[in-house]
Amino acid sequence: MVQSEVELTLSEVARKYPEVPRFILIKIDAAIRGVKVTDGAFQRARESNAVFEEEIYEHGKRFTRKRLAGAVFRDGTWVCGLESSRGMAILRYGQPYTIDVMDDKLMLVDGETPVEQCFFVPHPQFYGKKTRRGTPMHHLALAGPPDCLNIQVYMDCQFWRGKLPCKYCQLETYKGARHQGGRTEAELEDIYETVSEALQEPGRWTGIRLTAGSNPGGRVPYENEVNEYVKVLETLKRSFGGKAIPVRLVSSAYPEGQQNRLAEAGASCYEPHIEVWDEKVWEWVCPGKAKWFGRQYWIESALAAVGVFGRGNVCTQLVGGAEMAQPYGFKTVDEAVASSLEGAEFFARHGVTTSSTIMWVGQGSVFYKQKQKPAPLEYYVKLISGLRAIRKAHRLGVDFNDYRRCAIHPDTDLSRLDYPEVEV
Amino acid sequence: MVSMKKMALPKDAVEMLLDPKAFKVLATTDDQGNVHVVAKDSLTLLDDGSLAYGEVLESSVSNANMVRGIWFDRRVAVLVCRHGRSFQIKGKPHRYVTTGPLFQQFYLAFRQRFGPDSDLAGVWIIAVDEVREQTLSVRKEEEERKHPNMRHFDRECFKVEQAM
Repeated sequence: MVQSEVELTLSEVARKYPEVPRFILIKIDAAIRGVKVTDGAFQRARESNAVFEEEIYEHGKRFTRKRLAGAVFRDGTWVCGLESSRGMAILRYGQPYTIDVMDDKLMLVDGETPVEQCFFVPHPQFYGKKTRRGTPMHHLALAGPPDCLNIQVYMDCQFWRGKLPCKYCQLETYKGARHQGGRTEAELEDIYETVSEALQEPGRWTGIRLTAGSNPGGRVPYENEVNEYVKVLETLKRSFGGKAIPVRLVSSAYPEGQQNRLAEAGASCYEPHIEVWDEKVWEWVCPGKAKWFGRQYWIESALAAVGVFGRGNVCTQLVGGAEMAQPYGFKTVDEAVASSLEGAEFFARHGVTTSSTIMWVGQGSVFYKQKQKPAPLEYYVKLISGLRAIRKAHRLGVDFNDYRRCAIHPDTDLSRLDYPEVEV
Repeated sequence: MVSMKKMALPKDAVEMLLDPKAFKVLATTDDQGNVHVVAKDSLTLLDDGSLAYGEVLESSVSNANMVRGIWFDRRVAVLVCRHGRSFQIKGKPHRYVTTGPLFQQFYLAFRQRFGPDSDLAGVWIIAVDEVREQTLSVRKEEEERKHPNMRHFDRECFKVEQAM
């Protein structure tokens, strides 16, 4: 974004926008500044069963990897910004917050000033267990926010292979250590055992998210990708005894016929993300999507999906701030937000809800190499307020992608107030 | 930053809150000031003096109003009644628990009480800042002491003994 624009602090934004809950402002500010965990707080996390530790052998060396399950504020809002504690390099604004223990309470702290109380989330009971053939279950499914079980269908992306990745995407960073290609029969059995074990934990899960990189190949667009999703969905069906289950797909845009295959295999919600609404900026930020098979194709896929999955069960997403990346992005916050809300309004008229995420300029992405500056707090306040207002006006739901089933969308956090008014 | 104030409740109110057979209701308001009142059988008292209840419906009006309460510092009221006595307790939503030991405790209690297809969205914790006995005899005694001019003259207390 343009450097000369005035950027307001958390306190200034809170005074200017009293209608936006302070919890949500803190969440956004923590996401763009980052959060570190003190030794004392980390010890508290251990006592709260919120740290999962495993012995790792890598490059001939043995070390302990510590995975923090995450934290929530008093209202249940997910604490964003902890990604740095997992070794992920992200370009941030200013100084990070810390989580520390003060007066025996776990607090998010700005400098030396306590900002808000928070609570560590226990890691799932299936972590540390292995499948019958010895695969660690946490290699197959991960808890994201407290309620969501995340399963990677595969860890590969043709956009990256074609040197046309979405410019904010960090997938390449993790690819080496993870899975490439589709799941084998043995791996699908591992997933079946893992999900079946996870379901033994009472009151833990209300959502499953499947995701993968893009694979546009096949007899029709993205057929190869759909084939892999169907395999995993059929596996999940076994764990649920064939009953319908809330599984959402964060995936590429598919033709309607492929969407029908996924719905029949058990998918209930579908998210073909547009990422950026403005056509020219979109082509620059998402060159892979532009090549396979263009903006109009991605839009029409989302609209068609409403007929397959139902009104309010289809969500597109904006990577908030990507449309302000320079030199081709918008120069001002207001221009950027106006463009994004124009897109959200268009989708809402067709029964598609739009969420936004906070763009992390993370190591491995093109934007990281370009040293793009993250968008400021006030930009996100304007964007999420607009998205919530559009969703409310159209009485659209977003419950499958909200504060506890995805938790990285501050706009869907706001929609907690509007659930009683949703129409399906 | 908000810290939870502790307020001591009368012994009788404590007993009622801990009695699963006592009748308990929760009153909340929306952004227009519209009042919404619902029964909350699970409402109880925690060791730290705060109230807690299990919210079954994530999409309910009560839940939206509680979210509004914790976000915008709005008060809620609870009425607990038993055997003709009642207490009104006011406070603010302090925490919504959706995971961890307290949630598990409520979740399993709901499962035991309502069967294998029962569900629970979360547990709300209310920080108490005001309590008042609403039992009619108590309130009536107070009114007559403070406002003796409000009584009707044909009541027993005004009757003059007739000369025989």
